Amino acid sequence: MIPHSFDYAAATSFADALEQVAAGAKPLSGGMSLIPMMKLRLAAPERVVDLGRIQGLNYIHQDQAGIHVGALATHFEVETSALLRAGCPLLSETAGWIGDVQIRNRGTIGGSVAHADPSADYPAALVALDARIVVASKRGGERTVGANDFFVDALTTAAEPDELVKEIIVPVETMGTSYQKLLQPASGFAIVGVAARIGQDGHGRLGVTGLGARPILITDATDLAALNTTEANSDIHAASAYRREMAKVYARRAIAAARARA
Amino acid sequence: MKIAGTQTLPLSRECAYRAMQNPDVLVQCMPGCESLEATGAQEYAMKMKMALAAISGQFQGKVKIADAAPPERFKLIVEGTGKIGFMKGEGALELTEAGEASTQVTYEGDVQVGGTIAAVGQRLIDTTAKMMIRKFFDKLVEVTAGMR
Repeated sequence: MIPHSFDYAAATSFADALEQVAAGAKPLSGGMSLIPMMKLRLAAPERVVDLGRIQGLNYIHQDQAGIHVGALATHFEVETSALLRAGCPLLSETAGWIGDVQIRNRGTIGGSVAHADPSADYPAALVALDARIVVASKRGGERTVGANDFFVDALTTAAEPDELVKEIIVPVETMGTSYQKLLQPASGFAIVGVAARIGQDGHGRLGVTGLGARPILITDATDLAALNTTEANSDIHAASAYRREMAKVYARRAIAAARARA
Repeated sequence: MKIAGTQTLPLSRECAYRAMQNPDVLVQCMPGCESLEATGAQEYAMKMKMALAAISGQFQGKVKIADAAPPERFKLIVEGTGKIGFMKGEGALELTEAGEASTQVTYEGDVQVGGTIAAVGQRLIDTTAKMMIRKFFDKLVEVTAGMR
């Protein structure tokens, strides 16, 4: 499949990218969602700005605020980062469940988060972690949005059209964590996925992807009533009722696995 | 795909009914709707631009109101065709009084989506349709706020 013709420019710096996005260009990160949609002609942006050549935006470092993950860190880099594996293993574990190794080598955390696919893996972990997402624009500089406020609806985030995701800040973990996922074998997308952070007392938080239009946050892991949502997703792979049941099964598995690590 | 739900509007039933028959209101509330032009009695030609993240496409179609029984119920028929696919939906809306200046709208219908978007976007059709219905009612509440 061949996309519609479009203008292409590679951003030379993050500031350059912000300028081009403010002028209406569609940002391209790893291209794992945008390129297939362009090839299928579901998306036909007139101008694309490639973020892939911006140097240094794939950092992963730690300070007092937590662990900072640059938007261009690939899923593979998140999966294999020694810092994250030690300090925030839930994010690494979740990244390891995304697609296949080719996708994890190309796709970026910033791109995935900005795309906000209702079946993407990261949103479950990010709401469970109460992560913060830093977005930036030429117009308004930087601002920080809590993950639970960031994911607004299917494919819709709190970022304005001229804003780019700059980094994700996750806390240094103090609880036991696990991500458990029922995946759709062809695409690797989650039918449901549950990220759990559980203390030794069995209490903790869950983030659930695939069940609703946006990730579902459960702040008390002993109460799974929110998984009985009447708004559960439905498609040819899994009907609403099946998703609801699987969400409960995978929630229990994630809680048990997380508690065992607490 | 079946859709069903309820929504409470802070309007009297007559007012809510009138608002939902008013093309000037509908054009503001239907997500991406750019214009509605009357082509007959309660029949309109529609131009719509869908922009959802990276997915974008223009649709042309029609909106028709049928089986009108004011102020209780009517049928809304929406059809659209564009380069990325087509959609066809029919919904029965029922309005019941839920107290003073409050109306409960119960809707039930069937939406069919075909073409490229259905072939490759299956995974997202259901969530997208629900989101568009949510947006429609949210906007309806906003637009009709001054009509009370």
